[in-house]
Amino acid sequence: MNGATDERTLKLEGLAKRFDGKQPVVVFEDLSLEVRAGEFFSIVGPSGCGKSTLLQVVAGLIPASGGRVLLGGRDVTGEPAHMVYLFQQYAKSLLPWMTAEDNVIFAFNHRLGLGPRAARARAREHLAMVGLEESAAAYPWQLSGGMQQRVAIARALSADPKVLLMDEPFSSVDALTRMELHALISELWERKRFTTILVTHDVDEAIFLADRIALLTRRPARIAELIETGLARPRRAVETHEDPRFLALRHALLEGLLHRPDEANADVR
Amino acid sequence: MLVVALLLVWEGSVRFGIVQSPNWPAFSAVLAALYRGLAGGELLGVIASSMWRMLRGYLLGSAAGITIGVAIALWRPVRLTLTPAIELLRPVPVTAIVPPLIFVFGIDDKLKIACIAFATFFPVATNTIAGVGAVDEVYLKVARTFGIPHAQTIRQVIVPAALPYIFAGLRTSLAFALVVTVISEMLAGSQGIGHYLLTMQYALRAPEMYASIVLLTFVAYALNRLFLAWEQHAIGWARSREAYDAR
Amino acid sequence: MPTFARRAGDLVPGIAFLLAILGLIEVAARTGLVNAAVVPPPTAVAVQLAQIVAGGTFAVPLLQTLATLFAGYAIGCAIGIVLGILMGSVRAIYDLFEPLTELLRPIPKPALVPALILFLGLGSAMKITLVALAAFFPVLVSTVQGARGVDVTMIDMARTFGYRPIEILRQIVLPASAPYIAAGMRVSLGVALVVLVVAEMLAETGGLGGTLIAMQHQFMVRQTYGWLVIVAAVGFTLNALFVRAERRITFWSSR
Repeated sequence: MNGATDERTLKLEGLAKRFDGKQPVVVFEDLSLEVRAGEFFSIVGPSGCGKSTLLQVVAGLIPASGGRVLLGGRDVTGEPAHMVYLFQQYAKSLLPWMTAEDNVIFAFNHRLGLGPRAARARAREHLAMVGLEESAAAYPWQLSGGMQQRVAIARALSADPKVLLMDEPFSSVDALTRMELHALISELWERKRFTTILVTHDVDEAIFLADRIALLTRRPARIAELIETGLARPRRAVETHEDPRFLALRHALLEGLLHRPDEANADVR
Repeated sequence: MLVVALLLVWEGSVRFGIVQSPNWPAFSAVLAALYRGLAGGELLGVIASSMWRMLRGYLLGSAAGITIGVAIALWRPVRLTLTPAIELLRPVPVTAIVPPLIFVFGIDDKLKIACIAFATFFPVATNTIAGVGAVDEVYLKVARTFGIPHAQTIRQVIVPAALPYIFAGLRTSLAFALVVTVISEMLAGSQGIGHYLLTMQYALRAPEMYASIVLLTFVAYALNRLFLAWEQHAIGWARSREAYDAR
Repeated sequence: MPTFARRAGDLVPGIAFLLAILGLIEVAARTGLVNAAVVPPPTAVAVQLAQIVAGGTFAVPLLQTLATLFAGYAIGCAIGIVLGILMGSVRAIYDLFEPLTELLRPIPKPALVPALILFLGLGSAMKITLVALAAFFPVLVSTVQGARGVDVTMIDMARTFGYRPIEILRQIVLPASAPYIAAGMRVSLGVALVVLVVAEMLAETGGLGGTLIAMQHQFMVRQTYGWLVIVAAVGFTLNALFVRAERRITFWSSR
């Protein structure tokens, strides 16, 4: 460790999660990972491998059975401030009795305590970042799926995150909307550079967005591969997908995912 | 368990003289009165007569509720004619109709049966209407395709499909019918457990009074469970289907 | 426009039916087909009713009943909602209280009137307590159902934004359960009114119920029917007002 640790570094040390019960389930044991400050990191794995559980443990929503999570060098207990979470079921994460604007205000105002006008202004500012200024007074159920997720993104940003955790946030939108949201997230991240962890089963999405990717095995999950994407930034919707390196990475990851879901590369760190 | 703890506190408060009041008998005294009443027959007699009264009113109200409910749901002219009357009468607190009905029916069984029927009618009718309305269009189209006569369709398709709703209405009214039975017996006449309750209150015989409350509660609970068991037996297929559909 | 009617014209058969029934009773009573002493002609009742309303005699009992109703109803609902939210959200609290509430719920509340009279006498204290008890249970059951059904995603979301458990109960669980709570409160309102009228009739100390039973005791038949109409109107109005309010609160719910 050299000097002061950037508050945006995330370190998982020997993290373990077990569910006890009639049939105890070991989701993962001794998982260690270091995410650099401001890095866009992705975790890819087969269905049911526990990647969502892992993310929830990092977020403090579920307690770990062993190991530690360190944010900026400090142990994480409970839900840390400045760590926000994007849910797969975004529709269920938005409060239906509040407008889009009020949903955004909900995220920050109990900490900032701004007056009503200032709070609304700040909320609209963030809604504008995702292109939804016009929909500030709409209710979530009046908006399309893609727009709802964008409200969730605006909401997440308004909490001034140092770390953004995303749990398959785009799996329930159509392909075109997904591409728009990829571009949006990419652009916002370029501007703010919060540390991001994206959990997904979509290999293309991971390669397109991330700097580094961890491929997980089936349960009990271990890191099968750790890959640097090394693709040029800013990423471009059409060109990046045609880059030879993109295709090579895609090949390697899909190979691992589909044909060797239980193998872990022993010297991965 | 909280319940056991509270019962112990109740018993203790009397035994140790913390609460000294004729209105606060020990739990054991209540149980004793309950046993005596049931064994000796006083309580048994009144609850039986109440149940008999309730049964007649309940059957009358339910039969009316189902027939009128089906008629309203199936035929628009009937629906238009009867719905305003029903909607107007439904929010009337059923206890308020007792005094006027006393003039018409006197204070004997007829009065109570009329009140019970009145109270039973509305939940049953409402649920029947909802049930018939919810019958899947598909079933009706199938029946029409095979040229099944209308009356038969009603009997063999609509009523069975609406049964879950009807049963729900019948179960709600059952509880309601019991309450109205007690109320009408308290307000008029000298029969039944409602009247017995009042008599015990006037006579300041607290253990007997509480014993009848306990008995009433037990009867309410038992009726509900019995009904659920019958429902399971009669339309168990519907409940399992609900579970299947909700997968 | 009520839901079953599509045009104003659709209301005609229903209204005609009601008028026809009233007309029949009128004729039957006036011609002696039915004993007018027990079933008075509706017009005579209407005259009595007009006198009651114009003379203002309805005011005091009405206000007494309404005041007692709202006091007991408010208390019952408040406790029901608070306990319901807690029971629906915290397993331990649910397990602790559920046997007790399930045991007390089937007690027919009117059966408690004699007992409460022994304890609290014939006045407002007894009535308010009874109404509170009657209103409590439907609200509790509905609230628990609503609170249990709150999607965990919503709660997790609030946690990630740093909301504490108490704040989550107040700002997420409570609003999310509102449709259920409202439905429970609507049932409770009807139950509370019924039970209150019973208590007033048994205690014979004022209120609409007390007046009703007094009229009946004195064999003032037309007045009895007249007061019945007043009570019916109260029940009808309260229900209609509540349904309006309920729609405003649950605008966002798809149920």
